[in-house]
Amino acid sequence: MLEFWLFVLATAGIYTIFSLGLLVQFGIAGLPNFGNGAFMAISAYAMAISVVNGLPMWAAAPVGIGAAVLFGLLLAIPTVRLRSDYLAVATIAAGEIVRYLALNLQELTGGAAGTVNLLGPGIAADYNSSWLRFQSGVRGLISNLVGQRVPSDVAFIAILWPVALLLLAAVWYMVRSPWGRTLRAIREDETAVAALGKDVFAYKLQAFSVGAALAGVAGLFFAWQVSSFSPDDFRPTLTFYAFVIVILGGKTNVWAVPVGAVLFAGIFAGTRFLDFWPLSVFASGDRAYLRLVLVGLGLIVLVIWRPQGIFGNRREDALET
Amino acid sequence: MIAPDLALHATGIAAGYGDARILHGVDIKVIQGTIVTIMGPNGSGKSTLLKTIVGLVRHLAGTTLIRGRDGQPVDITRSKPYGLAALGLSYVPQTANVFADMSVLENLQLGGLPLGGGGALFQQRLATVLELFPVVSGRLASRAGTLSGGQRQMLAMARALITDPVLLLLDEPSAGVQPDFVDQIFSKIREFSQLGLSVLIVEQKARQSLAFSDYAYVLEMGRNRFEGTGRELLHDPAIIDLYLGAGRKPAATRTEAQDVRILP
Amino acid sequence: MLDQLLQLVFNGLVTGSIFAIGAIGASLVWGVLRIGNFAHGDYMALGAFTTFTANVLLGLPLVVSALLGVAATSLFAVLAHQLVLKPMRGRGLTSVFIVTVGLAFVIRNTLFLVFGSGARRFDIDQAEVYVVGPIRMSPGQAITIVCALIAIGLVGWLLSSTNIGRSMRAVAENSDLAAVTGVDTDGLATITWLITGALAGLAGICLGLVQGTFDASFGAYTLFLIFTAVVLGGIGSAYGALGGGLALGLVMEVSTWDGFAGGLDPRYKLILAFIALILMLLVRPEGLFGKARIV
Repeated sequence: MLEFWLFVLATAGIYTIFSLGLLVQFGIAGLPNFGNGAFMAISAYAMAISVVNGLPMWAAAPVGIGAAVLFGLLLAIPTVRLRSDYLAVATIAAGEIVRYLALNLQELTGGAAGTVNLLGPGIAADYNSSWLRFQSGVRGLISNLVGQRVPSDVAFIAILWPVALLLLAAVWYMVRSPWGRTLRAIREDETAVAALGKDVFAYKLQAFSVGAALAGVAGLFFAWQVSSFSPDDFRPTLTFYAFVIVILGGKTNVWAVPVGAVLFAGIFAGTRFLDFWPLSVFASGDRAYLRLVLVGLGLIVLVIWRPQGIFGNRREDALET
Repeated sequence: MIAPDLALHATGIAAGYGDARILHGVDIKVIQGTIVTIMGPNGSGKSTLLKTIVGLVRHLAGTTLIRGRDGQPVDITRSKPYGLAALGLSYVPQTANVFADMSVLENLQLGGLPLGGGGALFQQRLATVLELFPVVSGRLASRAGTLSGGQRQMLAMARALITDPVLLLLDEPSAGVQPDFVDQIFSKIREFSQLGLSVLIVEQKARQSLAFSDYAYVLEMGRNRFEGTGRELLHDPAIIDLYLGAGRKPAATRTEAQDVRILP
Repeated sequence: MLDQLLQLVFNGLVTGSIFAIGAIGASLVWGVLRIGNFAHGDYMALGAFTTFTANVLLGLPLVVSALLGVAATSLFAVLAHQLVLKPMRGRGLTSVFIVTVGLAFVIRNTLFLVFGSGARRFDIDQAEVYVVGPIRMSPGQAITIVCALIAIGLVGWLLSSTNIGRSMRAVAENSDLAAVTGVDTDGLATITWLITGALAGLAGICLGLVQGTFDASFGAYTLFLIFTAVVLGGIGSAYGALGGGLALGLVMEVSTWDGFAGGLDPRYKLILAFIALILMLLVRPEGLFGKARIV
């Protein structure tokens, strides 16, 4: 059971960081980015590729985030001015293109087999050992502190969650700052803000980049948590989960993001308990699909009947655009 | 209940967009066979009133009754816009009032939908309407987007009249139309009214429309402000001062959404 | 080399027809009902899998199965409209988008749940090859060409010469004006979904036939190409979607022709589509064939 909750917390931490990025882009700035998972992928790949090519982990991490932001700008410059439905299509396409490129540029990414092939087939590439050393150091510290040997997941969570909460505080502050207020005003009435002499385009680019950077951080933790990942870990569904989390909490509620993330990760990981009749007629592997059916149904019900989310009450939290 | 001589009776109409309330309880009556004009500064809610009557904007309060084609009263407060043409109410919006990407004939065919397809009734009404608007009849195959402003207005009116309505709502028929066409349009409207059609018209060209109206209402900030026969208002010093004042033009912008205060 | 070009043009027309059939429906609901439907690819998969059920599991002839599949998808689209999308009327584009994402999840994973994750195929001889002049075609390609001609002809007739088609074009251009003119917008929404569902189902069946094998996510993978075709043709324009789909199919295939400096690596065909999409959105959002319109 402990193992289950540790898994939930680890997943939820990564989703918290990822969803905070979407909250800034979509909730605050009104930019529905359906390709945010691509930034996660780019960061993870850039970091892993840097490490296997000899860069130390602490230097490779900023490279990953930088690559995500760079790609974010590259995508945002031509698209943030678009109408929201066009932007949605452009970003979902961008996300698919990144995944597709990662699948096909085998020399660079290891292709469908994943990062284990980063140095070509036959050589098991490893980007993760310095992270694991760092993590086991933290694990030792914690074990000494509590007086018993803790699972390595505890160490991962002990690193991940402080980072997640720090970023949460930062986003909380940003949203309340004049910068955040301007973005919200842009979301409500772009022309009015432009008429006040504000550079709407620059604000949107900044919001998009912040979201990309946060996705980049999430991508790093995702990569460190697993020892090999492949392009299919970054399907469009990944971004849709983040949408569920942001909408669940009310789209501008920063503090609701970790709650939504834990709830979501709990439901997601908890489907193994769905083994009672009539669900037991499905093979246990197929029951994984069942949770996605439930996620889909939940999303529909939420948006139709409770657009302000579970915790949101203010009109601003409602999905109207 | 709607009085026996009325074609339209709207009472206490309140409406708006989102949080912005535009109308705060407006009362309008149209006696059968008359022309009634609604005037007022920009942002007073004239166009919104028409849109609320036809159901494009939801009634937040108030009731709208019309006398249908068969003479029976009908409450259209909650009606969908598309049911009204069959009841005998037609509406011509101010801008974008033709389907520019479709041919003139197709525009008229769409207008004829409430007649139940392209049967004999439609052909008969089409012939009548084309006779009324010879400008349109010469351009049946053209794309409506290629027509001039005045021709578009004629087409929009032709489409509205193809169902042989008993009540016609017009939102600024003179907007974007060359001056010589404006007179033509106004005289057409007069002609229809003499044939028994009731007309409710929103107009910026106050002097011109008052002169040919039987009755007029002046709205301000979403409320009734003045009303009277066209002649009374034309000679009312307050109206002259506020709306017909020497050489004063109606405010330059035509957007309804912003609340431009003309009065101090 | 010329033979190769002809073959590529043919292949492009086949995939282009599939994009076109899919895109016409997607464009109609986008333009007429203001719904960008993320589940459109999954409607395609639904068509393929209902046909698969009738054809392979029940052993019915392919043509009968395909008709059943088209009908089932069409009915499902209407049902989804009534239950899920109608309550969303008056809400913003993004909210509706997200609801269709939920719908996509439900359809795709239900299909996985019922049919498993293995690759499926229709009961048709994939090895057979018809040779017409320099062109070699599979039975799936031949069926697709025939279906596309029939479907596109029917849709063209419907749009140009019937009250339903005129009403659709009217609503796509100006829904308020259409409503006050007397177009029953509620009834039209149902009819639009009926047609869109049928076309999506047909596109899914054809795609399954041409690809040979398919799983429950194969429609979703095509979605962004369908959207690209929609945008190429101008959102809301059915004729545009037809042209956009064919153009996209042709460009993607012909780009690999050896005559173009050895041809584009086929792996990058999709990148080409993506660039086309972004460029179109930026430069001509009204579509390749659309007239510039100030909204």
